Amino acid sequence: MVDQQTEEGSLAVDFCGIRLNNPLVLLSGCVGFGEEYTRVEGFSNRDVGAICLKGTTLEPRLGNPLHRVYETPAGMLNAIGLQNPGVDHVVRKILPTLDFSETRFFANACGATVDEYVDVVRRFDDSPVDAIELNISCPNVKAGGAAFGNDPEMSARVVEACRAVTSKPLITKLSPNQTDIAENARRCIDAGTDAFAAINTLMGMAVDVAARKPVLGNGQGGLSGPAIKPVALLKVHQVYQVCQQRGIPIIGQGGVSSGADAVEFMLAGAALVGVGTALFYDPLVCLAIADHLEQYRLQISAEGAADWVGKLGAA
Amino acid sequence: MNAPQSHRATLLSESAELLSQQAFAGDQMVMRLAASRIAERALPGQFVHVDCGQPMMLRRPLSLMRVDQKQGWVELLYKKVGAGTRLLAERQPGETVSLLGPVGNSFQLHEELSRPLLLGGGVGMPPMLFMASNLRRLKGFKPQVLLASEVPFPFTPEPSSIMIDGMPSSVIATMPLLDDWGVPARLASNQGFPGCFDGFITDLARQWLASLVADERSKVEIFACGPTPMLRAVQELAAEFDLPSQLSVEEYMACAVGGCAGCVVPIRDGDGVAMKRVCVDGPVFAGEQIIF
Ligand SMILES: Cc1cc2nc3c(=O)[nH]c(=O)nc-3n(C[C@H](O)[C@H](O)[C@H](O)COP(=O)(O)OP(=O)(O)OC[C@H]3O[C@@H](n4cnc5c(N)ncnc54)[C@H](O)[C@@H]3O)c2cc1C
Ligand SMILES: Cc1cc2nc3c(=O)[nH]c(=O)nc-3n(C[C@H](O)[C@H](O)[C@H](O)COP(=O)(O)O)c2cc1C
Ligand code: FES
Repeated sequence: MVDQQTEEGSLAVDFCGIRLNNPLVLLSGCVGFGEEYTRVEGFSNRDVGAICLKGTTLEPRLGNPLHRVYETPAGMLNAIGLQNPGVDHVVRKILPTLDFSETRFFANACGATVDEYVDVVRRFDDSPVDAIELNISCPNVKAGGAAFGNDPEMSARVVEACRAVTSKPLITKLSPNQTDIAENARRCIDAGTDAFAAINTLMGMAVDVAARKPVLGNGQGGLSGPAIKPVALLKVHQVYQVCQQRGIPIIGQGGVSSGADAVEFMLAGAALVGVGTALFYDPLVCLAIADHLEQYRLQISAEGAADWVGKLGAA
Repeated sequence: MNAPQSHRATLLSESAELLSQQAFAGDQMVMRLAASRIAERALPGQFVHVDCGQPMMLRRPLSLMRVDQKQGWVELLYKKVGAGTRLLAERQPGETVSLLGPVGNSFQLHEELSRPLLLGGGVGMPPMLFMASNLRRLKGFKPQVLLASEVPFPFTPEPSSIMIDGMPSSVIATMPLLDDWGVPARLASNQGFPGCFDGFITDLARQWLASLVADERSKVEIFACGPTPMLRAVQELAAEFDLPSQLSVEEYMACAVGGCAGCVVPIRDGDGVAMKRVCVDGPVFAGEQIIF
């Protein structure tokens, strides 16, 4: 548990030179623009280390037609389609309303072209956000997104171009929908990324039998939640093999819904652990996860929450 | 006219003891839960996001039908339509059900529109009953309630002791609770249930509206919740009589906190369209703004 009395709790960690309350991150697209969950009694943004804001594009986007979300076994599909008010609105109207004393806010930048990523990142560079996540893995838009993320060459081009316009920490969000995620990570490190987020959602679909149509208005969507946890763990572990020597941290994510899940991701190599879909079931889940991490820390007599990252023995 | 506003108040996560669960024909269930803190704050039109139990990942949105602030319970009416609601129907008294709420905005009364017409169809009845129970205590309003169902009503209809001008003489059935509250109400169905209007709720509403003198009719505001075809017909009815309306709409949800933008519906916004979240900006929207 983060101790509110002292300056810093025992789970505080460093990430790309930024100090975080704890290793928990609320994931992009699950918590709007950062303030929505503070309406839930018992939750405060202080309870997490960082919050990733909704995917943001240069121009406003209305997003995809209905339906956009649908439950599937142990998970859900979403096809929001990056509904957002555009980067200028986010920077001018939304960021000034956020309380940066409580937690760290990471922007989530998206684009349909390399130039659009650069424009979005440039605007966030000139804003109070603490880091910028490059979402090159959104499965729910026709152009850009996963089209970049599934190709190591294109991924590296986006990272390189964005690196040139910002000195803020850059986090590259990797897609699981590709052949060799480790190779992609290697290329992105060379292109200048400071960190990774892994994984974004897996592509999937659901069928409405009566209507003989896909349930989602977009036809297909991204699968998240416990159903993808084993896939996510493996991908984090694979990316960690590349990151370890280079000192590049990973925000592990995909189906985390308990403290035990968070420990697993950290052992597999995640410096921070992201929570998204689990919030929809239990909006207070991060308090329970933080409690568990603190218990685990005491149990293994660790000094801090970075001590067990990547400490996975051979099978 | 003040359109319903977005709602950004505190959301409570309450572990509610299931007090009773009653099954009615047509797969309908009425569930009463001890949730005193949600009951204390709830407004008509708001809903709770219900954890139906393992292995459901997502909660299900269900409207608040009745709340008793003194005794600290809330009551829901729901229909078993899929895995989530079927699982919920298996929960037994004494078990705990996790509720998140109260979620969403609420129906807004306007003093000058003193003749609210409340239309509830099927499992869209709950917000109308909640609103009627508040209206019975509000002086200055003369409400009229119409309820419709294509399966047997989740109560036993009885002849009403309250006369209503402008109702066809054969249409005498009501929900006894509304009679007890002194709220005039009638029932409609296409199933030929005795004492009920034989046809659509909007046709009965049209007859009643047409019977009002123009001055009285201008004081009507329409409030409705029900299946989409009904809401579309209500939107047309309101346009036909040039009356304001507030409609409660449904869409698939994930968070119900405003975080995911999963539950949006298209809403007219000036000359354009905005995708508005049913869980924060709704579920109640000004009727003429909804794009069905
Ligand atoms: C604000 C609001 C208030 C509601 N109030 C009531 C009520 O008082 N009584 C009642 O019986 N029903 C109500 N509904 C509809 C109810 O939420 C759905 O019937 C229920 O979610 C179906 O879940 P299921 O798992 O049984 O069905 P399934 O069809 O198996 O559900 C599959 C998925 O679709 C979603 N879904 C299916 N139908 C609907 C629907 N009509 N609206 C929203 N999501 C849907 C489910 O939540 C789930 O994610 C309300 C919906 C909303 C949005
Ligand atoms: C409704 C929804 C919307 C999402 N929107 C975004 C987004 O805008 N940008 C992004 O990078 N990831 C987005 N994601 C992916 C999540 O940030 C996260 O990577 C993924 O859901 C896996 O974690 P989880 O299983 O804990 O949800 C979204 C996920 C969901 C469920
Ligand atoms: S259900 Fe997530 S924004 Fe409404």
